[in-house]
Amino acid sequence: MSELSATHFLLLSAALFIIGMVGVLTRRNVLVIFMCIELMLNAVNVSLIGFAYELHQLTGQVFALFVIAIAAAEAVVGLGIVMALTRRADTVDIDELRQLRE
Amino acid sequence: MSAQVAVFWLLAFVSLLGALGVVVARNPIHSAIGLVVSFINVAAIYLIARAEFLAVVQVIVYAGAVIVLIVFVTMLVHPDDLPEFHGRRPLRVVTGLVLGLALLAEVSAAILARQLAGAPGPWTDQAVAAVGGNTRALGQVLYSDYMLAIQLTALLLLAATIGAIALARPEAVSERLAAARRVLTISLAHPRGVDQPELPPALPGAGDGRFKPAGGGRPIVLARSADEFTEQPAWGEWRTR
Repeated sequence: MSELSATHFLLLSAALFIIGMVGVLTRRNVLVIFMCIELMLNAVNVSLIGFAYELHQLTGQVFALFVIAIAAAEAVVGLGIVMALTRRADTVDIDELRQLRE
Repeated sequence: MSAQVAVFWLLAFVSLLGALGVVVARNPIHSAIGLVVSFINVAAIYLIARAEFLAVVQVIVYAGAVIVLIVFVTMLVHPDDLPEFHGRRPLRVVTGLVLGLALLAEVSAAILARQLAGAPGPWTDQAVAAVGGNTRALGQVLYSDYMLAIQLTALLLLAATIGAIALARPEAVSERLAAARRVLTISLAHPRGVDQPELPPALPGAGDGRFKPAGGGRPIVLARSADEFTEQPAWGEWRTR
């Protein structure tokens, strides 16, 4: 572990991903859950770039670029859904959104 | 431990602090600030990994566009409706923490016991420098091997744009028309806005002294409807003798 290797990136990626996952599991605000999803996507990018760094490949960086593009598209659609939610149900609390269950 | 690794751990530590701030903060704006901190530190880590282009993209797309979107939507949500101000669910928090710690232990053990080592690829530092830097090398790979994928990504972004418009527009037709009218009544220095078809009375010559131009620049008139405009004419005052 004395030289920078993919292990470092993987550890950081795991920590970031799991923090995001805990946020998705514990928070009630749709906006914060959304931010935690962004955090998890970002963690995936870290591990991809770590492997690209260790293996002298560019494929990891290309895939990270695609992940960023898809994250941007997801941000747009997700925030559109949040806006539609606040307009229809007037709440961002996921505990109050159970129309499908009832 | 080399200096590179020390810098990496420092950046990783701050980035993890930001991520923790996202999860812990009650106010979504504070969460967004934590998210920016985390994203920018991760961008610096990309620089360490010699992914310069991705570092720039990370700052522009994540720390710029996505955060601005999030903050705008947070602004549209009523602040009294924020759920965490009405109490948390302790059982859920404990369950999430236990699950997270268990998963972290498992994954860390797997990473530290990692035996896999792939064959190193062709893009060593010298090869990247010979092409002319990280961005050019990335462009070569992207536009030769991943041509179809990048076109599909463009299609995906188009679909996301259309989906966002469809989701964000008002549902009732009357509201849609009202929204369109709201946009059209943003007027530059015209007191009745664009809703009024006829122009103001013909402006007299500059020298006859009846027309006093408004001082300074032309004011921007913003109104929800044409009736809300201010009484004061924006192009100047008409003096009746």
